[in-house]
Amino acid sequence: MSQPDITLYTCQTPNGIKISIALEELGLPYKVEKIDISKNTQKEPWFLEINPNGRIPALTDTFSDGQKIRLFESGGILTYLAEQYDKDYKISYPKGTREYYEMTNWLYFQNAGVGPMQGQANHFVRYAPERIEYGMTRYTNETRRLYGVLDKHLASSKSGYLVGDHISLADISHWGWVAAAGWAGVDIEEFPHLKAWEERMAAREGVEKGRHVPSPHTIKERLKDQKTMEEDAAQARQWIMQGMKADAKH
Amino acid sequence: MTKLNTKPITVWLTPSGPNPWKVVLILEELQVPYVIESFRFNDVKLKPYTDICPNGRVPAIVDPNTNLTLWESGAIIQYLEEVYDTDKKLTYESLNKRQLLNQYLHFQMSGQGPYFGQAGWFNVLHHERIPSAIERYNDQVKRFLEVLNTCLEGKAWLVGDKCTFADLSFVPWNCRLDMLLQTPPGEDPLAKYPNVQAWHHRMVDRPSWKRCMEVRDKLMDDQGLMPNGMPKGINNIQEYEAEIAREAAEKGKE
Repeated sequence: MSQPDITLYTCQTPNGIKISIALEELGLPYKVEKIDISKNTQKEPWFLEINPNGRIPALTDTFSDGQKIRLFESGGILTYLAEQYDKDYKISYPKGTREYYEMTNWLYFQNAGVGPMQGQANHFVRYAPERIEYGMTRYTNETRRLYGVLDKHLASSKSGYLVGDHISLADISHWGWVAAAGWAGVDIEEFPHLKAWEERMAAREGVEKGRHVPSPHTIKERLKDQKTMEEDAAQARQWIMQGMKADAKH
Repeated sequence: MTKLNTKPITVWLTPSGPNPWKVVLILEELQVPYVIESFRFNDVKLKPYTDICPNGRVPAIVDPNTNLTLWESGAIIQYLEEVYDTDKKLTYESLNKRQLLNQYLHFQMSGQGPYFGQAGWFNVLHHERIPSAIERYNDQVKRFLEVLNTCLEGKAWLVGDKCTFADLSFVPWNCRLDMLLQTPPGEDPLAKYPNVQAWHHRMVDRPSWKRCMEVRDKLMDDQGLMPNGMPKGINNIQEYEAEIAREAAEKGKE
């Protein structure tokens, strides 16, 4: 195993904490560079050198050939960490096993389904400058449908995790999103198995450590207070709309 | 290279959507034997398909050689590459390059697919015109193509010096751009992104993609589907959704 020389470029979002949770579960040393997305730091040239897509998370490491490797896309980074550093299969499964492919299956389900759809729900429920009932319903319902798929799958899981007999990338990639369900207008109480899984995950030491990177993870507490939530949304709405305008100019 | 005694892999798909063709394209490239189980979009969220894919989305595969059922096109592509691309035709040996391929596959999966899909929905399918939603998704499509154009600057392929599974995964959705954005006839929606345009043309000229499109045309025809994916005689998505709901209710009664 090569010596890790990892720098994680991140901020407090469901996608960012996937990586810090994985790093904590693996017990790897890493440096953190906080990216301020409210100041559009992720669109600055130095960051675009690391991730041309201008999104967090991104990660750099010294690769086994001695050269620097730059990675983006949370799913790509998680797979890299597992292949490079998870020799004891703490958060993954050996290549070629059924569990390995099933883990990849749920990892894509998160990256192509839950993340994008819940993200759109967040947009229409919290950030859009005008209230578009149809947009809100469309994406909240699709998120609920996807949660239903997870809930049904977890109902029959013997280990309480999505794949096999222990935690894996499949669970890690979902947790931050499910913990923030209320922000997208989805009531987690509708999904008892998923709710129990979320709490089981939250009780893990690695999840607890990783979720507070680079700043405290407070979404669960904030969701309990309607007023703070509205204020947070109003503040975020402002810089998100500015960012969208800046993107559109290119 | 495929072993002589490889049994054909079953690919479950509805022919209209772009995602199944990512998988068929890889099977064609790798010359892995496969059979297509083509079914109607109306049945995508019903048994028996939901027993194969609980998410009710296509594609899914059943591989009798390994007794594995798998869904999510990205996961399927990675599986096919690991098991059947023994000559590394569409991938590389080096772990470094393989991670970059994986990165781009995730970029396709979480960036291109979802945003192009939503742009198509609000531009074409949704009955009500919602300018702010249309603008949001059209801007995201443009942003995505700009990033892709940057990634391809000075390069023929995304990673290394050959066409890989990561490059090919972008083909089906890029082929739909004119429809999604309602580009006027004769105009190329990729014209503003010259690196993407040249790269895309290199890929659609491959015999594997041509073969995919022949198969798709035939399967669309078998089900009496128009190029927009809806059955002949159905005028818009509301009529189609009503038809699907009516059928599902009837099946429920049986």
